[in-house]
Amino acid sequence: MIHLISKILNNNREKIKSMFNNTSDLVIYEFETVSNIKLMVCYIEGFIDKDLLDKDIIKPIILNLDNPKDIEKIIYISGMEESSSLQEVADNMIYGSVALFIDRISKCYIISLNCWEKRAIEEPQAEAVVRGSKEGFIEDLTTNKVMIRRRIRNNDLVFEDYIIGKETKTKISIAYIQGIVNENILKEVKKRIDNIDIDGILESGYIEQLIEDSHISLISTIGNTQKPDVVAGKLLEGRVAVLCDNTPHVLTMPKFFIEDIQSSEDYYSRPFYATFLRWLRIFSLFLSIILPGLYVALQTFHQEMIPTVLLITMAGAREGVPFPAVIEAFLMTLILELIKESGIRLPKAVGSAVSIVGALVLGQAAVEAGIVSAPMVIIVAATAIAEFAVPPLTESIIIYRFVFIFLGGFMGLYAITCGLIMIIIHIISLNSFGVPYAFPLAPGNKQGLKDSVVRFPLRDLIFRPKALEKRNIRRQRNMRKK
Amino acid sequence: MKKKILFINIIVVIAVALTGCWNAMELNTLGINLVLGLDFENGKVIVTAEIIEPVPAKEKSAMEKGSAVTYVQGIGDNIFDAFRNITLKFDRKLYIAHNKIIIFGEGFVEGESANDIDMLVRDHELRETTYFLIAKEAKAYEVMGIAAGLEEIPGNYILKLINNFKYNPKAVNVNLAEYLRHFYDMGRQPVLGIIEKKEKKQINKLKKSSKDKEYELSVIGAAAFNKHRLVGYLNGTETKAFNFIMGKVKTGIVTFPTPNESVDEISTPTLVMESDIDSQRPSKISMSTIDIIKLKSKRDVEIIDGNIVLKVDIRLRGSLEEFIGNMDISSDIEMKEIEKACSQEIKNKLMNTLIKVQKEFETDIFGFGNIFHRKYPKEWHEIKDNWNEIFSKSDLQVEVKTNVIRTGLINEPIGRIKGK
Repeated sequence: MIHLISKILNNNREKIKSMFNNTSDLVIYEFETVSNIKLMVCYIEGFIDKDLLDKDIIKPIILNLDNPKDIEKIIYISGMEESSSLQEVADNMIYGSVALFIDRISKCYIISLNCWEKRAIEEPQAEAVVRGSKEGFIEDLTTNKVMIRRRIRNNDLVFEDYIIGKETKTKISIAYIQGIVNENILKEVKKRIDNIDIDGILESGYIEQLIEDSHISLISTIGNTQKPDVVAGKLLEGRVAVLCDNTPHVLTMPKFFIEDIQSSEDYYSRPFYATFLRWLRIFSLFLSIILPGLYVALQTFHQEMIPTVLLITMAGAREGVPFPAVIEAFLMTLILELIKESGIRLPKAVGSAVSIVGALVLGQAAVEAGIVSAPMVIIVAATAIAEFAVPPLTESIIIYRFVFIFLGGFMGLYAITCGLIMIIIHIISLNSFGVPYAFPLAPGNKQGLKDSVVRFPLRDLIFRPKALEKRNIRRQRNMRKK
Repeated sequence: MKKKILFINIIVVIAVALTGCWNAMELNTLGINLVLGLDFENGKVIVTAEIIEPVPAKEKSAMEKGSAVTYVQGIGDNIFDAFRNITLKFDRKLYIAHNKIIIFGEGFVEGESANDIDMLVRDHELRETTYFLIAKEAKAYEVMGIAAGLEEIPGNYILKLINNFKYNPKAVNVNLAEYLRHFYDMGRQPVLGIIEKKEKKQINKLKKSSKDKEYELSVIGAAAFNKHRLVGYLNGTETKAFNFIMGKVKTGIVTFPTPNESVDEISTPTLVMESDIDSQRPSKISMSTIDIIKLKSKRDVEIIDGNIVLKVDIRLRGSLEEFIGNMDISSDIEMKEIEKACSQEIKNKLMNTLIKVQKEFETDIFGFGNIFHRKYPKEWHEIKDNWNEIFSKSDLQVEVKTNVIRTGLINEPIGRIKGK
């Protein structure tokens, strides 16, 4: 295929048509000026601002263009480029540019007029907050960049665009703050993104899985969020963010384990309350992982550890239940996941019906029929509630929960202890872009611990996480030293 | 990667090899046991077990009292044999890890078969915090199955009675661990709590009872041992004196004759053993009560001129709770008299108890031997084999000091005649 632009308009038209394989959304419009100069605009339907094209480009050209060389004086639009390669023209058109061809000129003007339907900025449902910005990212990369830029008005905030996905040609953008970011980490991120060789990137989850350190671990070593203030906070700590077109989920890396129990609100509210909330989240993390397993273990192996009165009540509740405790726990947890999954997938109107049926029929009726014991329903319900206190870890919690039910029913507390030790070993052995995943805890770091399971008053958080950046580490003057 | 797989394998292998609790037992295969009764009849051991009947909470309220538990007996050559024989007639495995109380029938301890408790210590299920009780003049199974309080489960009823020790030191709460400690001790002999069945007065005439008689239990008193041999019982007052000497009294009361009201009686302390229920004191004597706030007790042994002297020193701080008499308690001098009367009363009770234990029981349940051992280690090795004998011949010296720091809400006693 010849990629040079010809002087003859018809040739160019045929070439463009064949390049786009005669796709139906390609619009080619030919027109003539008052002074009989033939022109042609090509664009992809729905991708551009048609009003602008008509009023500010086509109208002045038709009325005023006498000499094709004067075209730049007539069009009132910024971002106009010249190109002589048809491939370049096509590449720009798929990002929403208009190609303007003029008869007897072997050049093409590429005018950026991109504009398409966007979702309004809304509060992300998965990361709702009481205090703090309610803005969430949307599917448009440019808007997302603006939202971050609005929070960090600094010329050192850098966005580097990449196009990955051999077929989808998805635009992604690496964001960082020059001077704060650790160059080695940045280099590593760029290297891994360069190495991606996949046909399509449909969501940032693709990138996450293709560049993360240990791809078979249950635990993700890359953070993701829908909130621009969270991304801004992470950038200020020296992290790198990866924005991907067509998704509101922005990746941040490297990630620490402790980030999952932190929330942006922790920094906006009083330190004592924030610390309390963090303990609550750690507690619920443990609870949601081991509670059903622990219950099974106590009930089948360690009856002597249950207080007598509680044991009597539990024994009363278990009377007549046909399944062993481990099967009971497994079934109930499975049904809980079932309710959750179908609740998400079903249309909203039906979804609430499913939850009512799930709660009433499976909870109340099953207990009354004597198929499951009432304490088991309480345990599973408590587990479900606890799980939502640490949303970023939900995926791994559920898998681990089933593992612990099995361990508890198989070998009791001994197996649960072994399981916990193995998880902790696994977490400590993980790395995220060359940074230890369990950072302020293992390896321990005094300054890092100030913002880990406790949140010190803001004026005590003087340093950035040391594992991320070693040079530009100071965030603020130590206000306690006069 | 190879290292990782090896590591996981090692953990799995260790996990399988090291499990001590491999036998999973579902809750509905267990007979949860609260009280065990041990008796000795015709050379056979009888084990009586009180087992909780697991009932769903919803049905519990509809149940009548006493149906929350069931009883089963097993007979065998020793305790474990009797235990296993229970499985022949009871459908669930007896689970004694939650056992709270073991009641010994009197026959069990009299026949020196208290040695047979080996299984209770050796078995992994039983807790060392299990309370030991002696059924006074009864078989163990005769005192079981009575719940005269608000607790529905008889075992919990007995347990609450034992725990009431902190309000009234007329009983002892000795568990397996404590019993064993004294059992192995050269310088101290064990004491166990006792339990008695008593007829209950029917006061509520509205409640139609199907039974002719209703019974209640009482844990008043204590049983003194010489090693595994039951040598006698202390009554309530003596048990209280015992607890005073051992310094185990946290709260409690001391009731004493009000001074000046009954001067003659005080100066001649009676050595007559009094029963608790009907006091032998003439009813006309006014009695007052001091509530114990803090009690310190110090036991000591001293060799004076070749004689062994057992010393007890009691410091009591209390508040006046009930005063029947005609005295100005706001006056220091009269308060001193009250304090003196209280000290005297305590001293009398202590002396009575010490003399009874020395002369009747001839067993050192107070642990003076241990104090002697610490103080005179050389001499101890010469006499330790017949310490009980020496103990019963030792001189006594009791010192009591009372300090009343509060007098309650009123200063003037109600009975005080104004202007006297």
